[in-house]
Amino acid sequence: MIRFKNVSKTYPPNTIGLQNVNVHIRPGEFVSIVGQSGTGKTTFAKLLIAEERPTRGQIVIGGWDISAIKSTEVPLLRRQIGVVFQDFKSLPRKTVYENVAFALEVCGASQKRIKNIVPQALKIVGLASKADRYPKHISGGEQQRMVIARALVHRPKIIVADEPTGNLDSLNTREIIDLLKKINAFGTTVVLVTHNREVVNELARRVITIDQGRIVSDQEEGKYLL
Amino acid sequence: MLFTLSRVLKFGIQNFFRNFWVTLATISVLIVTLVSVNILIILNVLGKVAMTEVQNRVDVSVHFKPEIEESRVQTVKIALLGMPEVRDVEYVSIDDAMKRFTAQFKGDDSIVAALGEVGKNPFGASLIVKARNIDDYPKIIAALGEPSYTNLIEEKNFENRQMMIGRVETVARKLQLFGFATSGLFLFLTLLIVLNTIRVSIYTRREEIGIMRLVGASDNFIRAPFYVEALLWSASSLILCFAIVWPAVQFGQPFLQRFFGTSTVDLLGFYTANFFMIFGTQFFAVCFLSLLTTKMATARYLKV
Repeated sequence: MIRFKNVSKTYPPNTIGLQNVNVHIRPGEFVSIVGQSGTGKTTFAKLLIAEERPTRGQIVIGGWDISAIKSTEVPLLRRQIGVVFQDFKSLPRKTVYENVAFALEVCGASQKRIKNIVPQALKIVGLASKADRYPKHISGGEQQRMVIARALVHRPKIIVADEPTGNLDSLNTREIIDLLKKINAFGTTVVLVTHNREVVNELARRVITIDQGRIVSDQEEGKYLL
Repeated sequence: MLFTLSRVLKFGIQNFFRNFWVTLATISVLIVTLVSVNILIILNVLGKVAMTEVQNRVDVSVHFKPEIEESRVQTVKIALLGMPEVRDVEYVSIDDAMKRFTAQFKGDDSIVAALGEVGKNPFGASLIVKARNIDDYPKIIAALGEPSYTNLIEEKNFENRQMMIGRVETVARKLQLFGFATSGLFLFLTLLIVLNTIRVSIYTRREEIGIMRLVGASDNFIRAPFYVEALLWSASSLILCFAIVWPAVQFGQPFLQRFFGTSTVDLLGFYTANFFMIFGTQFFAVCFLSLLTTKMATARYLKV
């Protein structure tokens, strides 16, 4: 599903983001990418969604080599990968429903399709009853669930979640992780970038540890090592 | 496709109203530019009217010596009419010359008294020659300078009118130059303001744009609403410019006719006859300008 072959990323003038990374993530896996701040976790996520291009090496997603992806092809890639960030990236003037529908609207989906898909996504994340509320009237955890619903509307094969629980308390963190597990159970590959020790240890799934841009550990049922 | 188009329009209209004050400033600058272009058009029309009026008044007055007989003057008239450059020749007899002089100085007792002292009609006959073209006068004057005419002619006057034409031409040229410079300045300011308005618009929508990118909106879909916004500025500014220029022309028309002393100054007629040409060209020009600036601004400030 996702394959990194000898991938390096250097930021000018000579800051190393990733160094000679080799990794293979299989379809339907739930993988946690862990490491301390500034070790290259976010670079890993950005390379996956073509926000950055590798300096060296090859990244293949579902047979598609995105190492030198054209800018016109990036939107097509992003419709296949759902993205969730630490800052919720919601539109404050739109309701929960409108925020989720926005992802389909800007990609040219018909109104019929939007009316069909958005309620389903809201139901999956447990926000069906709060569809008419504005982001400021729901909790941080609910806002993050709204963002996950937005990431789900394209029915992506992969979800990349970069520190999705970074701004949440322990209760909301548990809810978000449970939701990601539920999505993973439907067959979606989940790549969770985090430095939350408890979350990683409780998940007991594959853990890839990055330190100073290098993969220092890759365990099938891993723990937070650092 | 239709969904995409309708959403691009929706987002463009939202942008237009969302940054109300910035939109207002942009439209104001566009209006000032368009009004200055219209002032340039009006100056051009008035300059042409003034030139035509002056040219119509230009003639060469050929005053013959009082002792020259009418038949000889008529011979000169026929010779002049034979020249392709001459449009018309008017013969003013000795008596007519006297009548015109007394009519001109009717209120001036000293001149009338001086004329009485002379005792007889002191004027000679004259010919008033009008050329087809203002550039033809030197040729006509050269022809009148031939030896066969010089001993008949007492005086020819043309020089003063030539100076007047020169002055009108200079003033018209300077006004036009000033108009071009002013329009150029406003054009430059428009470019700067539109560029910065798009920049502000991009800044205001940065979160929305960021989300669009994340969820897979195409580059064109992200950029297109800014072009819609620019077109809305162009259309609004032209409508408002029309709302200023049209009443101003209607209001100013009688004053201009009084100033030029002729009813040939018909700005309203000019605008009516060339309505689509004038405002259509301005619409396309302002659209082109704002779209070009939008392209520059989005290329520079909108990273998609």
